[in-house]
This record gives sequence, structure tokens and C-alpha cells, in this order.
Amino acid sequence: MILTGKKIIEEFKKGKIDISPFDKKRITTNSYDLSLGRTIIRYKSGVIDPKCKPQHEEITIPEEGLVLEAGDFVLGHSSERIGSDFYVPIIHGKSGTARMGLFVHVTADLIDIGSHGVTTFQLYATLPVRLYHGMLIAQVSFWVPFGDIVLYKGKYQNSTGPLASLTYKDFKYDIFKNKK
Amino acid sequence: MILTGSKIKDEIKSGNIVIEPFCVEQVNPNSYNYRLGSTVKVFDGFDGDKATFKKIKIPKDGYILEPRKMYLATTKEVIGSSKYAMSLIGRSSMGRYGLFLQVSANLGHTTSKHKWTLEIVATLPIKLYPGMIIGQVSFWKNFGTVKKYDGRYGHLNHPQESFVPITQYQKI
Repeated sequence: MILTGKKIIEEFKKGKIDISPFDKKRITTNSYDLSLGRTIIRYKSGVIDPKCKPQHEEITIPEEGLVLEAGDFVLGHSSERIGSDFYVPIIHGKSGTARMGLFVHVTADLIDIGSHGVTTFQLYATLPVRLYHGMLIAQVSFWVPFGDIVLYKGKYQNSTGPLASLTYKDFKYDIFKNKK
Repeated sequence: MILTGSKIKDEIKSGNIVIEPFCVEQVNPNSYNYRLGSTVKVFDGFDGDKATFKKIKIPKDGYILEPRKMYLATTKEVIGSSKYAMSLIGRSSMGRYGLFLQVSANLGHTTSKHKWTLEIVATLPIKLYPGMIIGQVSFWKNFGTVKKYDGRYGHLNHPQESFVPITQYQKI
């Protein structure tokens, strides 16, 4: 079951959904609109090796916007902090963003229950597109879980800006090995 | 409704969800992290009217994917459920590298059970290792009566290219 916009407002008021800053005008029928924060991360050239810390640079989106060329991949972030200990958030593009051929996530839309922070957007442009700070770029929906809840305690908790992948930290947890 | 990690564990025990091999450390708050199998297939052009794919065994020290090529691979695990619908996606750690694990076909039908074919597209050059944790699968409660899946892919355990007739491929 997906929450309606009205239910999102109710649950926000009860403190069961965390959206900060919250603006009632951003509520849609089934979601809440997210705006693009100011910082962008771009990986430096070369082959990404998930076992190694990736080299990247941070860019601030200028007033006149930042142009992504077709085929560019960068990380951005929501201006809002979001999360819930009671519902499962899922990130979507806005249809207006998608109609420009811009992906806001790369097959990773699902947020763990109990994860709080600004969300990192995985921005992949299929056409040249200009990004502006504050533009409404994505939306988050909230879904009812089934079963006992164990909250997220992972490595991206409490993000305040875009976070590059931390797979190199997983190495000690053996993500590259087959136990069985 | 989406199943929590605790519910996924319960349903593994009761046999309503199958994940083999199953490793409890790979359970997330509302999904399960799956691993990459050991082979990939990459589109290799046309032989007459037939699309051909080259099969590659991923070496232990990794295999580099080139941007904007399409690769097929599988999950290492057999994944399925007699009771729940599934959604198979990537994980945020790989999405942050610009790696697609499927091409807008995340939905897994109730009663299918197999090693899922992954449709992998890299937006940046990236090295993949066999058996690495690469994506996640979530389980969803159904509403309505379940009719058994009788599709062509839901029992296959190898990276399977499309059965759609070749006339529907755009020749390149």
C-alpha cells in the first residue's frame, strides 16, 4: 500500500515521516516533490574499481545552471532531509524530469526503513540538460511495510550532501567473496 | 505492502520465499542483497538475422564493463516466491557508480523461481567481480488470487537473451 498525499501530511505531523524542510505545497496525490541541492559529485576519469576509494571532485551548481552532456553521469542530492522509521520511501523522477531523458537514480530507488538524511541522486543524462539548484527534480513516495521493523544502521546514514559510493568499505564485510 | 527484512527471514523458514544460497547478513531492513553470478554475455553483432552474444567467464581479478554496452548476467542465487511478487533492482552503492542492473523490467512474477537475468548497462567504465554483492530484491504482498506464472524466462538459470523475434531488434 502506498500513502496518499493527505496521509503523508498526517504522518509528517505525527513525526512518523521526516521531511525537512517541509512545504505543504510540495505534496502531490501520492508523493512529495524533492528539489536539487547545490552540490554535484563527478567521478574522475578512469575505471571504477569497487574495491578502491573512487577519485571524485565536487562542483557547486552556478546560478546559470550546470549543463550535463548526453551520456554524463554525476551524483547530486536532495535539498531535503528525508526518512521514516514507519514507512519505506521510494525515489522516483518527476515525469517532467524524465521527459528530458534525465534519470534521477540508476536502478536503486528503494530506501531502507530507518534511513534518514538527504538522498543522493544518481543523475544520468540521455540528452543535454541544464540543472539548476532548487529545481523540482524528483519525488518520494512512502509504502506500508509488512512484518517486524528493524531499522537501517548503514554506512550512508545521516548524509548531509551527495555521497560517492562506499563499496570499498564493504570489502572488510566480504562483499566480494562467495561463502557458499 | 513491502516485506521487512524480518518477514523475509520468516518466509524463507516457512518456504514461501526461496533464496539459495541464503546468507542472513545479506538481509536489509526491507530487501535482500543478491550477488553477481560468474558469467556475462555481451552483444556481439549480427550473424545474418540472428543477434549473437559472446559468453565471458568473469575472472577472479575482475572484468571491465565498457560504458553504453548492454551486458546480460545472472544473480548467483536462485530467487523466487510462491506467495509474493518481487522487485529486483540494483543497490545504492552500485547506482552511485552509474551501474544499471536492469533496464526498466524490475517486476518478478509470483511463482517464478530461478537465477534472474540481469540487464547490465554501465554509464562509466567499471570493474565487476564474480560473486560480489551487486543488487537487491524486495518482496511484495499480493492483492487478489495468484495464477501460476507460465512465462518463458521464469525458470531459466543462465543469462538469457530476449526471445523477442529478431525482426524487432534495430540493426546497428
